[in-house]
Order: sequence, then structure tokens, then C-alpha cells
Amino acid sequence: MPESNPPAPAPPTPPTPEPSKLMAAILERVGALVEQWHAEHGDDRIHVARENIVAVCRLLRDSPELAFDMCLDVTAVDYLGNPDGFITPSQVWDENRAAWRHLPQSRHRLVQPPRGPSPRFAVVYHLLSTSHLHRIRIKSRVPEDDPTIDTVSSLWPGANWLERETWDMYGIRFNGHPDLRRIYLYEEFVGHPLRKDYDKQHEQPIQEYVGPGAKEPRRPQVEYAGPERKNTQRPD
Amino acid sequence: MAARVVKVVRPAPTTKQWLPILIGLGVASAHFFRNLFGFIRGRQDFTVNFPEQRFVQPPAMRGMPVLVQMANGKERCVACGLCEWACPTSCITIFPAETAAEVERFPEVFDIDMARCMFCGLCEEACPEEAIVMSRQVEISSYSRRGSLWRKQDLLVPEAELKPRLDYLRAQYARK
Amino acid sequence: MPDRNAKTLNDPIDSAMRPRAEASPSQLDPGLDAPPMRLQFGPSHPATHGTVRIVLDLDGEQIVDADVQIGYLHRGFEKECETGYYYQNIPYTDRLNYSSAILCNTAYCMTVEKLLGITTPERCDFIRVIGGELSRMADHMLCVGSSAMELAAFTPFLYLLEARELVLDQIDALCGARITTNAIRIGGVISDLPAGFREFATAKLDRAAKLIDDAHKILTDNIVFRRRMEGTGYISPQDLIAHGVTGPMLRAGGVALDLRRTQPYLVYPQLDFDIPIGEHSDNFDRYLVRLEEIRQSRRMVLQCLEKIPAGPVNVDDPRIRWPGKNHVFGRMEELIDQFKLVTEGGLFPPGEVYFALEATNGEFGFYLVSDGTGKPYKCRLRSPSFSNLSPLGRALIGRQLADVVPSFGMTNMIGGECDR
Ligand code: SF4
Ligand code: SF4
Repeated sequence: MPESNPPAPAPPTPPTPEPSKLMAAILERVGALVEQWHAEHGDDRIHVARENIVAVCRLLRDSPELAFDMCLDVTAVDYLGNPDGFITPSQVWDENRAAWRHLPQSRHRLVQPPRGPSPRFAVVYHLLSTSHLHRIRIKSRVPEDDPTIDTVSSLWPGANWLERETWDMYGIRFNGHPDLRRIYLYEEFVGHPLRKDYDKQHEQPIQEYVGPGAKEPRRPQVEYAGPERKNTQRPD
Repeated sequence: MAARVVKVVRPAPTTKQWLPILIGLGVASAHFFRNLFGFIRGRQDFTVNFPEQRFVQPPAMRGMPVLVQMANGKERCVACGLCEWACPTSCITIFPAETAAEVERFPEVFDIDMARCMFCGLCEEACPEEAIVMSRQVEISSYSRRGSLWRKQDLLVPEAELKPRLDYLRAQYARK
Repeated sequence: MPDRNAKTLNDPIDSAMRPRAEASPSQLDPGLDAPPMRLQFGPSHPATHGTVRIVLDLDGEQIVDADVQIGYLHRGFEKECETGYYYQNIPYTDRLNYSSAILCNTAYCMTVEKLLGITTPERCDFIRVIGGELSRMADHMLCVGSSAMELAAFTPFLYLLEARELVLDQIDALCGARITTNAIRIGGVISDLPAGFREFATAKLDRAAKLIDDAHKILTDNIVFRRRMEGTGYISPQDLIAHGVTGPMLRAGGVALDLRRTQPYLVYPQLDFDIPIGEHSDNFDRYLVRLEEIRQSRRMVLQCLEKIPAGPVNVDDPRIRWPGKNHVFGRMEELIDQFKLVTEGGLFPPGEVYFALEATNGEFGFYLVSDGTGKPYKCRLRSPSFSNLSPLGRALIGRQLADVVPSFGMTNMIGGECDR
């Protein structure tokens, strides 16, 4: 069930034959705003354009038969160079064992594929209804050159911290967020570490202390080369 | 056979405020005297006097990974590199070499950086030769970082000493 | 940077801080023309068990503004997972909620199993429940005990820690480690129950139950403990839901949301247990709920030990579970399987999946995106501590400084899980 590229207006054609009961209810309420929907591994998922995210979320929260009153999670996925996610038929795996993939040689280097044509990020919301006990995942694509999306923290205050985390880790700005600071890292941190082009071994510059007493010279930095690490070099 | 939802009972606050304190004192005194008499009678209850006495560790205990030394003094490892590959922290370093002996491949260098090892046991699980096993050794602190790098010679432990673990492993990882 | 220097002259620590709360005339003595006092509570405060920093603006004893800052234990779990094979990430999940590691292992492995679309043998499920409930007991014991200790009740802390040691003894016998268990595997568990585990566990659990009762006797009616717990840390059930709070904290607010009941997984439908809920949504109810959950977990472990069927503990699928060592030593196919699985991580269908289970602090979920290789493309943890902590700052406003300690303690924020 290959997704079509979001830039081309994707018709809301259901890729699976029958929507689940929940999905039918959702499509009835917000069907006009849903770009695509999927049911994968038993999880229902809808794709929404980023302009509509607040409208969709408000409808999902306020309709009594949906009543998604808990925002479990907000995160993002960086599809760098993999424009449409990884929706390839999963039967491959069942049918032949010849489909073992070749892996990059180095475990600690990420393969950097070329950038694809469609938006790079997807912001992912997981919602739960505590009264009906059903769940939905909402995905919304966000392009690299303008990584912004509207905040849903006015609907669920719990999304406040989650969006701060997404900003911190992926650099996606949430318009209208009341308090968009970094949450895990310090303000001077350069870059957003969960982006795929942020190398795992990347080192951050040392930040100067700016509090009182900052005028005094800092303790000189001792150059420490570390112990001789024989075990990382091959003997010749 | 199902889950029921029950409300927790919040005990009504007592008017005799001294009573709970007396009860608490009683509980604590009971513990105190039990421990005191247990101590006099030499009961080995909870704590041990560490360096002299040791815990009885269960057979599953995972200590630091060591290499099995065969009777001829050689390691059993054939330098296949699976443990190096499986190790999540990349703390094993192996340089393979070959000899003319019966088992021709052997690791010329087999280092484990114990400062990074987290005793997860994946190396043991990956090894197809039963050559690296988790020992009961856990006292491996050192003064320098250099000291936490264990070379092949430090890691070799005679097979006889590892017998309990090897027996346990065979049972643990056996399948029909 | 000089402008920041100027701006934060009285506020030296960092720029990541919110502006100070306004000194409102109703809260401050108008004659006392002073801004609220800014107090740094943490990151390593002796009265908190968790690495968190709460920046409090105080008007005397009253909290005018509270800013909860986390991230002191951020280790890049999600980044790390993207570079390791699926099986290599299991030990990292131990470090999430390090006081109940088996539950974290189970959540991760079950998410991967959901991605693979496999079910595990029943004996495996029972062992997972036994391990998970033991972990839950250990975690609650630590939470209740250390919260009591922070309120200066040191004796019950020692009893609960002793009880926790007894529980950890069983976990140790189960998988060989007390804290960093690494006990669950994709499609199985590390090992079958050791011989004689039932008698061993029953004896240890009985001793632990006595200690729990002793702690209960000392704490629950104690007037000091009650006065500091009752009515403090109140968050309304609506706020709890809106903030995404789950677990004992939500149940103490009277919302009976427990994934073990509402979305049963593993063998929970076969077990008979109670889900305690509170009604006041304060710290004392959270304490009572946690104490009751320890007892219920003990009940569940005992039932599981009664009911556990014989049979295999691993799925019989050479593409998922590593082959038996007895075959690896002797047969070609299994040796090849072993090499393939270790060096390529396994074969996973592309797609994305979310699975959550009820961990100690609430809904502990993983969201995995797979690109078809042996490494997760994205591994996201939905951490309950993170969401449980987010309403704390608001709940503290208007309360007393002394309420911070029990409120934070009963949140049971686990740094590893909250900060990922
Ligand atoms: S125990 Fe784990 S961390 Fe240590 S060497 Fe083995 S695989 Fe590596
Ligand atoms: S997996 Fe075993 S045989 Fe292979 S290199 Fe490691 S210790 Fe040696």
C-alpha cells in the first residue's frame, strides 16, 4: 500500500478494504480533513495536513463518540531521503527468507540517503480516549525549510512538554506554544540531536559560563588526550 | 477470574493520636529485638560481612565476561567475532590470527574494556563456541582507565572453574 | 552574551529559565517591596529521589510559581536505539525505569513482536508476568519507602528496602541480575524459571508481605505522615487526563484506567486481581494505591506460579529467536542462523507500530518505525514519568514549600525513564 506523495493532493482512498469501527466514526466526523488513513498492525492512523491539525484534534477531542481526551505522545519522525515512509508490502518478510537486507558496514555511522522530494518530517500524535478506550495515531508532514506546525497544547495541556521535547529533539517549531524552550538540552545546544543528519558522535562546543563571576578567567582547560586506546587500532 | 476495580479504604483519622505512634514503636521494637537476638545467636539474616563472607549467588548470576581456557592452556575462542558484533557497547576488540594447530583460528588480541561493559550477557548468548561466559567475578574496580582494559591473558579462566556456569548455560540455552 | 548577563543579574544560573513571577500585591505585603524569592530545588536535593530541578518562586512559604526542569539524565536513548540492532537495545531499556527493568524489557520486546506479528508461548507470557509484577513490587516499594524517608520516616524505608531486596532476590534468580535485568528477548525470555523457583518465591514473598504490613502499620495512621500527605498535591481528575497522566497517579484520582484490565495483554485476563483506585487525588491516595498494588502484584505472582503451564518459553522461529546452543554447536543450519541473526539483527517488516503496557508509573509505550532492516529507524518511548511530572508545576502553585517533597515523591519520577 504505497503512500502517494503528499504534495500531490492525495485522494482519501482507503488502502485497506474495510475501515474499522473507530476509523469509520472518525472518517464520518473529520473525513474531509483526512488525507489518508491506514490500519497497520492493528493501529489506526490518519494523515492530516499540517494546517488542519488543530481543527482535526479539536473535533476528535470534542465529539462525544470519539472523545480523545488524552494526548499520550507527540513526537516526530525524520524521513530524511525516505519520502514516503516505509510502507512496502510486509508479506515479503513472510514469504521468503531471501529478503535479508544488507546493512551498512559500520554500526555507528548512519547512512545518509539523498533528500527526497516530499516533506522531511512527520509529526506524530498518539491519542487515547479514556472513556471509549480507543486509540488513534495522527501523522502530519512538515517540510524541512519551514518546520512549523500549530500547537495542540491549548487542547491538551499535556502536549506542552511533549511539544517542547519535539522542538528540542527535531527542531520543529510549534506555532502558538506558550513556552517553547528546550526541555532536555541546554539552550545553547547547537542542532537537534534526533535529526538523522545529526551524527551520533558529534561533539558540542563548550559554552562559556555567563553568570556572576564570569569575568574571572576560567580554570584553564586541561588538554586531556585520554589513555592510549590500543583496542581501537589494528596492529600492523 | 478478572480484574476488579476497588476503592482504597482510607482509614478514618483516629482521635487517639498517640495510639498509632505506640503501634509504630511496637513494630520497630519488635524488629529491633528480633534482629538483636538473631545477631546474638549468629543468625545470617540479611546483611553479610562482605569481604569475609559472600553472598550465595544464584546460578543465573551474570558477572563479568571471561574467556574459557581449555585444558591445553589455549582459549576456546575461534575469533569469529560474533561477540564483538553483538556487544551493544562495542567494548570487545578482537584481532584474529591463524596457527598450524588443530584449531587454527585464534584471537591474537582479545580485549574487553570493562569500563564500558554492562554485564548484559549478549556476548555469551551470541558465542557459537561457548568460549566467552559470564563469570561470578564482579570486583573489577581499578585505579586508572588503563586498568579497566582487560587483555586476553587476564580474561582466561580454566574451564574447570567455570563448570557451574557452563552447565547452567547448556541448560539455559538448550532447545528441543 | 552580555545582554543576557544584564537581564539575568539576579538570576544567574541560566537563561533557560522562565521570567520571574510578578509580585502581585495580593500575595506580597505591599510594604515589603521585594520580588518573590527564587529557590533552586534540586537537581540533587536530598529530599527528592530523582534528578530534577524545580525552580520555585516563593512568597514566604507559599509557592508563587514553579518551573519543573528535567533533562539531567538525558542519555539519548532514542538516538542510541537507532544505531543498534533490535536485540541490542534490550539492555538499554533496562536503564529506562531502572527500578522495574523487566517491565521495560517486556514493553520493548512486545512492541517488536507486534511489529513481527507473532505471539509468544504461554509459559513465556507467564514468566513475563511474574517478572513484571515482581518489578512492579520492587518499584512501588522503593517509591513508598523513599517518599516516607523524605518525610523523615526512616524506619519504614528500611523495611521496604529489605522487602525490595527479597523481591530482587527473585528477579536475580530469574535472570541473573538484580537491576539491569536484560531478561526478556524478542520472542521469548532469557531463561526458563530456575528449579524450585515456586517455593523460593513463595517464601520470599511471604517475608516481604510481613515487611509491607509493618511499614503500613507504622505509616498509614501516623499523624505526621498523614498530615503531610492528605490533601497535598491535589490535581483534579480532569487535569490528570488532560495532562496525559496515567498509572497509580491517575487511579488515585478515581479514573480506573489500567491497561491490564482495559486492553488485556499477556495472561492478565486469566488472573484474579483488584485494581485499587482512590477518590481524593491527593498524595495520601497515591500512597494507598501504591501500597495496595504491591499486595495485588504479590497475589498475581502467586497465582502465576500456581497456573504456569509446562512448555517452551521461546517461539520456535529461526528468523526471530536465536537458536538453541545445543544445536549451534552441532548443526550447520543453526550455526548459520546464529551468525545471520547476530550480524544482521533479524528480519523485520517495514511499517510502524505502537504498543504500550501498564508499567509501574503508567502507560509505558514504544513507537517503532521500521524500514525493514535489523535496526529500528525510530524508537520512541512514551514515558509515563514524563507525562506524570508535567502537571506538577501547576499543582504546586499556591501550595506550601513543604508540599513539594511529598508531591514529588508520590509522582515517582524515575529519571532514566523521564529523561530518556
Ligand atoms: S556483557 Fe554485554 S557489554 Fe559486556 S562484553 Fe558482553 S555483550 Fe559487551
Ligand atoms: S563469539 Fe565466541 S568464538 Fe566468537 S570471537 Fe567471541 S568469544 Fe570467540
